[in-house]
Amino acid sequence: MEYILTTKQLSKYFYQKKALEKVDINIEKGKIYGILGPNGGGKSTLLKLAAGLLKPSGGEITIDNKNPGVYTKSIVSYLPETNYFYKWMRIKDALNFFNDLYVDFDMENAGKSIEFMKLEEKEKITSLSKGMLGRLKLSLALSRNAKLYLLDEPLNGIDPVSREKIITSILDVFNKKSTIIICSHLIYYIEKLLDYIFFLSEGQVILEGETENLRNERGISIDKLYQEVFQ
Amino acid sequence: MITLLKYEIYRRWKWLVIRYAALIGLGIVFYNRATFSPMQYNIAAASMGKFFLVSLIVFAIIIVEGINMLKEDLFESSGYLTFTLPKSGRSILFAKNFLLFVQFFLWALVSIQFGTMFLKLLPLEEVSRYMAEIDLPVYPAILFVLTAFFNFVLMVQFSLTLTRTLLYRNKYSGIISVGIFFLLTYLIEKFYYGPFLYQVQRVYSEIGSGLEVNMLSAGYTSVFMNIVLSIIFFTATAYLLENKINV
Repeated sequence: MEYILTTKQLSKYFYQKKALEKVDINIEKGKIYGILGPNGGGKSTLLKLAAGLLKPSGGEITIDNKNPGVYTKSIVSYLPETNYFYKWMRIKDALNFFNDLYVDFDMENAGKSIEFMKLEEKEKITSLSKGMLGRLKLSLALSRNAKLYLLDEPLNGIDPVSREKIITSILDVFNKKSTIIICSHLIYYIEKLLDYIFFLSEGQVILEGETENLRNERGISIDKLYQEVFQ
Repeated sequence: MITLLKYEIYRRWKWLVIRYAALIGLGIVFYNRATFSPMQYNIAAASMGKFFLVSLIVFAIIIVEGINMLKEDLFESSGYLTFTLPKSGRSILFAKNFLLFVQFFLWALVSIQFGTMFLKLLPLEEVSRYMAEIDLPVYPAILFVLTAFFNFVLMVQFSLTLTRTLLYRNKYSGIISVGIFFLLTYLIEKFYYGPFLYQVQRVYSEIGSGLEVNMLSAGYTSVFMNIVLSIIFFTATAYLLENKINV
């Protein structure tokens, strides 16, 4: 079995506060994974560690058998929860920026995606609503031909109509050569996308399994299962 | 690296144009004022003084911007680090400091050009006598200012990066990095290295006293020290940016 991401006893502490503790996960190539859990569970921390934004306090994380660094950043497309664009940028500038700095960025695809998301290239990023910003971030992240996509709360602040657009975009970009990891609270919307799920709470994996198996074993949807687990 | 540099320039090109346009524009205004009343040396000297004041302000802005270029990446939500760019810490730091070098070079070029023009308006014998009294070795002094400038900026950048690496999202990071900077300055002084302020004071005192000190060897020694320190701070900062920092 080929893994794109593996962690061994991965821990992350911020001062005395535990964010992740001895997490062991293996992410196979060519699947869509969901990391689900309440706020402060460690989901974003895990993605940030994979993106190379945070450094582990203990244990190890490898992507394509390499520790996070310049190489892994070239094959990982990370969509952060926050607005990370420069204030001076227009959408067109952001497209050019990505095109110039990521070798795997597909400008043509990005143009189509921007159009699909009903965004105007001349618009200033500071004037975008939260939903529009979310759509822009996703368009850019998914327009890279990356081996691994890390999507941190891609549906946050997005209206229901746009959520469907986002789900469609994620499905469009997915192919058997790439892997997607999605962190989200909005289980109902992403449930149908996921092949495998990790439930993360207080920095630890408390439940994991194939989505289909979990549904069949428990006889309930993942959304309901989430509510049961974290009640 | 070129692309990173391109975006460093692109995001602040308006300010760069305004800054140098103001320096050149005010230089022309003061020079015209000085040439308007020939042989009135006090007017020429006053105009020259005003130009150097403007030049000094631009110099201070360049230094502050050089520090802020990295500070923004470290402490704000937008920057090369948050974009998870597949670029090494060395490339990111080099792009920022290369722009700083270009700015410094342009500033020096404009200031020296106007300085020479102003000097020609002053009584030549007196200027020559004054220059002879100072007896300042020109090349070590220029090299010293250049290397001390970079040493100072790199030392501040290192202090900021180290603080950000050690303390994640701490509201006192700014103050603590100032503390680290002064601690480094103190330690370097202790080992008889020439930190920026110390060297400026030294050059100033030697100019001021008019002593016939042969600064050649002392000047080149401090230049050498500054280069070594700059390499150390650059390498250490790039390493922290790439391998240790939590963004």
